Amino acid sequence: MDVQDEQAGGEIKRLQRCINDLVSLLALPAIWSGGDISQVLDTLLNTLMRMLRLDLVSVRLNLPVVEAPIEIVRVSQSLGPMPSAHEICEALNDSLGDSSRRWPPLLRNVMGDRDVSMVPLPLGLRGELGMIVAAAQRSDFPQQTEALLLSVATSQAYIGLQEARLLSQQKRIADELDQRVAQRTAELAAANAELQLQVGLLQSLPVSAWTLKPDGTPDFVNRVWLEYSGQSLDFVRSRPDAWMAAVHPEDRETASRSFWEGVRSGQGFAMETRSRRARDGTYRWHLNQAVVLRDAEGTVLKFVGTTTDIDDQKRAEEKLRRSEAFLAEGQRLGQVGSYSWRPATDEITWSAELYRIYELEIGMPVTLELIRSRVHPEDVTLIEKMKMVDQTREGGRDFEWRYRLLMPDHSIKYMHAVAHATRDQDGQSEYMASVQDVTARSLAEEARDKAQSELANVARVMSLGALTASIAHEVNQPLSGIITNASTCLRMLAADPPQLEGARETARRTIRDGNRMSEVIARLRALFRKKEPTTESVNLNDAVLEVIALSIVELQKNRVMLRPELADDLPLVTGDRVQLQQVILNLLRNGSDAMSTVEDRPRQLVIRTERDDGDRVRLTVQDAGIGFDPQAADRLFDPFYTTKGDGMGIGLSVSRSIIERHHGRLWATLNDGPGAAFSFSIPRTPEGLVRADGIRNIQAPAVTGPGAA
Amino acid sequence: MESCQERSAIDRLLVSVVDDDSSVRESLPDLLKQFGFAARAFSSAEDFLASDCVDQTRCLLLDVAMPGMTGPDLQQELIRRRRAIPIIFITADRDMIVRRLLIEQGAVECLFKPFSDTALLEAVNLALHSK
Repeated sequence: MDVQDEQAGGEIKRLQRCINDLVSLLALPAIWSGGDISQVLDTLLNTLMRMLRLDLVSVRLNLPVVEAPIEIVRVSQSLGPMPSAHEICEALNDSLGDSSRRWPPLLRNVMGDRDVSMVPLPLGLRGELGMIVAAAQRSDFPQQTEALLLSVATSQAYIGLQEARLLSQQKRIADELDQRVAQRTAELAAANAELQLQVGLLQSLPVSAWTLKPDGTPDFVNRVWLEYSGQSLDFVRSRPDAWMAAVHPEDRETASRSFWEGVRSGQGFAMETRSRRARDGTYRWHLNQAVVLRDAEGTVLKFVGTTTDIDDQKRAEEKLRRSEAFLAEGQRLGQVGSYSWRPATDEITWSAELYRIYELEIGMPVTLELIRSRVHPEDVTLIEKMKMVDQTREGGRDFEWRYRLLMPDHSIKYMHAVAHATRDQDGQSEYMASVQDVTARSLAEEARDKAQSELANVARVMSLGALTASIAHEVNQPLSGIITNASTCLRMLAADPPQLEGARETARRTIRDGNRMSEVIARLRALFRKKEPTTESVNLNDAVLEVIALSIVELQKNRVMLRPELADDLPLVTGDRVQLQQVILNLLRNGSDAMSTVEDRPRQLVIRTERDDGDRVRLTVQDAGIGFDPQAADRLFDPFYTTKGDGMGIGLSVSRSIIERHHGRLWATLNDGPGAAFSFSIPRTPEGLVRADGIRNIQAPAVTGPGAA
Repeated sequence: MESCQERSAIDRLLVSVVDDDSSVRESLPDLLKQFGFAARAFSSAEDFLASDCVDQTRCLLLDVAMPGMTGPDLQQELIRRRRAIPIIFITADRDMIVRRLLIEQGAVECLFKPFSDTALLEAVNLALHSK
């Protein structure tokens, strides 16, 4: 019985020990949890070695395809030196073969120089995961309990290894993911930094930059617009047309139309608006432009646009437009056209107004034939004159030119051109002329001359009335003498004896007086006959003497003491004799009238002719009368100005016009003593007349040569 | 010019002509002489007054408008001097109003130039007899 009890007790101990070991084995996962494969293997092998007092334990773990299997061998010292783990595993593999199905549960092998009992334990149902081999020298290895432990350990190992593998896989994946995420994050950060930079640029642009969603709602709007308009970003993004609140009310409708057309059609838009600057409330012109961004399928992604301040350009444009309009208008009002010619290219350019003046279609090419078709056949055209001037030795110079146009309806237009020789910005010579239609003025001048003649006539007639007394005297004196002498003659002849000597004498006087009378009448007729102005060479002294003769009686009646001081060798003047005499007469009468109240001094009236500077002739009538108010000096020559109660005061105004048409001037000065002096100065006849077909066309005297008197 | 004083007993009455016009001074005395008068001509009233013919003058043919002393001025001067010489004005200015005034002032007549010889004779006779 004792032996059996001892055997039973030993068995019980053995079983107890086995259960303890099982419990330990079952606790392995807790140890393994979270560990990696090598930890698992380590723990397993150590546990098996110790628990089962093995002499050798090895594990070969198959890993995914690319990786080499893990092979670990633990050998107890009692086995002595052993080959490497790899060799051992290989030997084991060779012994056992690949397929685990055919593995014997037990194998006796020679390891080193010992006999061992090896138990191969496949990992995984078919050993796909690998193999554990436990070996011991003892011959009873493995006992039942040991086999059980090995089996459980292997299962646990299998589970633990799978878990560990999974864990490591998961970890690897997690690592990979982390890596990828990190990379991505870095990329994004870089992209973001790039974006920030771009955004920064966008914000700093000198123009407003913005984007719109496909429906037109603003998306991104840079600082520039927000600062300019004072609108907040939220406001601008609240509605597609919120920003238009800053647009000038008058421009909103057009802006809105362009905007919506552009957005809805997906074409984008470009429009100009006046937009309000929040800072001071002023409106400035802006150009709002948007272009469309589409994706690969052509769907609108966004509109990208800018708003640029174009106010300065716009105002400059406006100014330019206005000044051009002013110029054109000015040309039209003044009937002035612009005419330019470039000798190098023979190119003639006309302004619109010039075409109008010439009554040609605006823009027609200007050729010499075209010009000749309009210019009066007797006149030299402006372009021909320009060419003549251009060929003179001094090259280009400024000049004036007058010519006439003969229109298709045979009417005549008078042209006055002022030409300027210049160089354009390339250094090419160019003649530029302003050409004015002075027809109206010429006709007006003609009419005025006629009116002035009429007026002068009227003045003459008025002075005729005043001269009635003079005429009466002038005519009646000789007439009276004639009658008296004739009567005397008859009586002398009727005497007894006839007084022939006396009769002859009286008859002689009669004839003399008769002649005198017809001279006077002729002179008076000449003076008062209405005539067109003529031009001739006039000896001013002779003209003065005639006027004196006509007015001497009246002057003497007014107790005027006339003192002629006529220069010898006075040059001739060119003009209308009668008109000049009218002026002299007017001055004499005025001088006489000025002295009509003078009692305390002689009523002296000096009439003086003399040479004047610059080849001119001066005539002065100087009185000792009441003078005139220096303040009113200008008004003396106004029409209808008069200090006389009865007179119409036409004289000085008409006189001045006459003198001016003789290229002279008429003026008044006060004497040192009492009275005034009225003088006129007119050019002498030049040595050779240029043209003499009417006073208006007389050129001013040219510089005369050394032979001039 | 021969002085009036030098005249011996004159049966011819002296008619003086005062006129600044030379043709008048030239022609009138001859006609007056034909009428049987003695005649003297002066170019100005001053000359006449300065001459010694004033007292002798029985009739004065006097121009109206003259430089210096006019005809009417002379008329007033003679009145002032109490020399009542009958005056016939002769003038080229046909102004009826002036004529009336002159006659009212005491002139015998005012003749308008040109006048006929008969008109002159009538006026002179009137002047000599209407004292």
